[in-house]
Amino acid sequence: MSASKTPPAANGVNRRSFLRTSAVLTTGLAALAASLKPLMEMQDFPTAEQFMQKYYKEMTPDDMAKVLKRIENEVEQQYGLRPHVRDYKPMDGVEFVYCLNLTRCIGCRKCVHACAAENNLSRNPEIQYIRVLKMPHGSLDMEKAEHHYDPPQVPEKDFFYMPVQCQQCKNPPCVKVCPVHATWQETDGITVIDYDWCIGCRYCEAACPYFARRFNWAKPQIPKERLNPEMSYLGNRPRRQGVMEKCHFCIQRTRQGKYPACLEVCPAGARKFGNILDPESEVSCILRTKRVFIQLKEEVGTSPRFFYYFDV
Amino acid sequence: MSTDSKTKATLLLLTVVFTFMAAGFLASPSARPTLQFNPLVDTNVLDTATVRRSYADLVRADEDLSDFDCYACHEKDKPPPLRFDENHKLIIPKEHVNIVMEHGRHDRNNNCYNCHNEQNLERFQSRDGRELKFADSTALCGSCHGPTYRDWEAGVHGRTSGYWNRSLGEYDRKKCVHCHDPHSPKFPGRKPAPGPHPLRGAEPEVAHVETKH
Repeated sequence: MSASKTPPAANGVNRRSFLRTSAVLTTGLAALAASLKPLMEMQDFPTAEQFMQKYYKEMTPDDMAKVLKRIENEVEQQYGLRPHVRDYKPMDGVEFVYCLNLTRCIGCRKCVHACAAENNLSRNPEIQYIRVLKMPHGSLDMEKAEHHYDPPQVPEKDFFYMPVQCQQCKNPPCVKVCPVHATWQETDGITVIDYDWCIGCRYCEAACPYFARRFNWAKPQIPKERLNPEMSYLGNRPRRQGVMEKCHFCIQRTRQGKYPACLEVCPAGARKFGNILDPESEVSCILRTKRVFIQLKEEVGTSPRFFYYFDV
Repeated sequence: MSTDSKTKATLLLLTVVFTFMAAGFLASPSARPTLQFNPLVDTNVLDTATVRRSYADLVRADEDLSDFDCYACHEKDKPPPLRFDENHKLIIPKEHVNIVMEHGRHDRNNNCYNCHNEQNLERFQSRDGRELKFADSTALCGSCHGPTYRDWEAGVHGRTSGYWNRSLGEYDRKKCVHCHDPHSPKFPGRKPAPGPHPLRGAEPEVAHVETKH
């Protein structure tokens, strides 16, 4: 029996076309399901509350109180630990400056891990705000820098160590490129990120000449017992997958008058932090009296608030 | 083979390939490669303690101060004599073997009584003739190291912890002897904390539990 003799059904569907259509449909649906698989795996869909949240600068104190409560609830649900989340505002008459003594730094990397502990950085995948570069004496050539060094003892002969983190620029390129204004410079000089407003386009990461910004490629994982419960909205509260983060001079500490965590842990006293508007502060004294040799990559015009200096 | 049947064959092949791929993705967790995870960084590296402890720290912690009780062994009013070898290098007596004399270059500072008071061993003597207690060692250091002392007073040299904003809280300025051994003042080296590694901490099965939710 040839195909031409098959009587066409009244509605134009015969056995062959039915089978063909259903085969195509089944395959198509299976492919669709497979392509949606990552979505099904996605955790932390934004809640309605989070989705409808206002822009940071437009929030009233009441709005902020609700948001902080929501974050506390979320963290408690996830980590089984009630955190203390606040939104610390910049102080009047304060502009932060960081000074780092390259003569004193021994490259022990304690600052790197103190930062991770204080700021609830993801341990897996590992995110770190500070990179300690090892460079040969007599050069400041980033091409010769190495950050995977692991000798039995530091400092090594003929090398110096240069920790690099967010330089809190006065003219920050990362802020300029943000298409949604999720990152901005506060009056005390700290460039902050609203993790609830960031869309994760990573333009800021590309714009930063210091590789100071980090992207959460996966959901950050922090062991429960290592969570720091003292949190701030613009600072160290746990981040979501798909947002940027970076050093914020330990906003939750420094805006309460404390030194940042990397400074507290430095065994060599190479790190100095303070208010540049106060002529009596340590950083003012350093910039007045010491051989402050660079702002890193001075020539790109970012004007960092992070200064490197030498003793002698 | 006509173009039509070629197209059909290609479509059929693609259908089969995609179906298998879809099945593979759906059965994913077991099909994923296992990753190498490094252990979490030891919390010891978060320690903010200073390299050494000062005399005042030992007093406060009520620890063994017998090292500072000079007249338990020495006689009063009888300065212990110093002995030097043929290269004018100080010979350290066996009671003080834990002392390494490396203060100052070219062994020029190899005389105990440059800092210790020979008339009263439980006191220091500074270069300007002051008699100082063990707890006041900073002034003793400052009597030679003027510029460093000036920097330290301004908070530029050494460690300061606590509050940068002095109206909000206390600050703690560490003393010279918190970091420098007076007999061998070079700042000691140490093993660096672990370097960057992309995967650290969670066990692979923990990672799976997290992704299944």
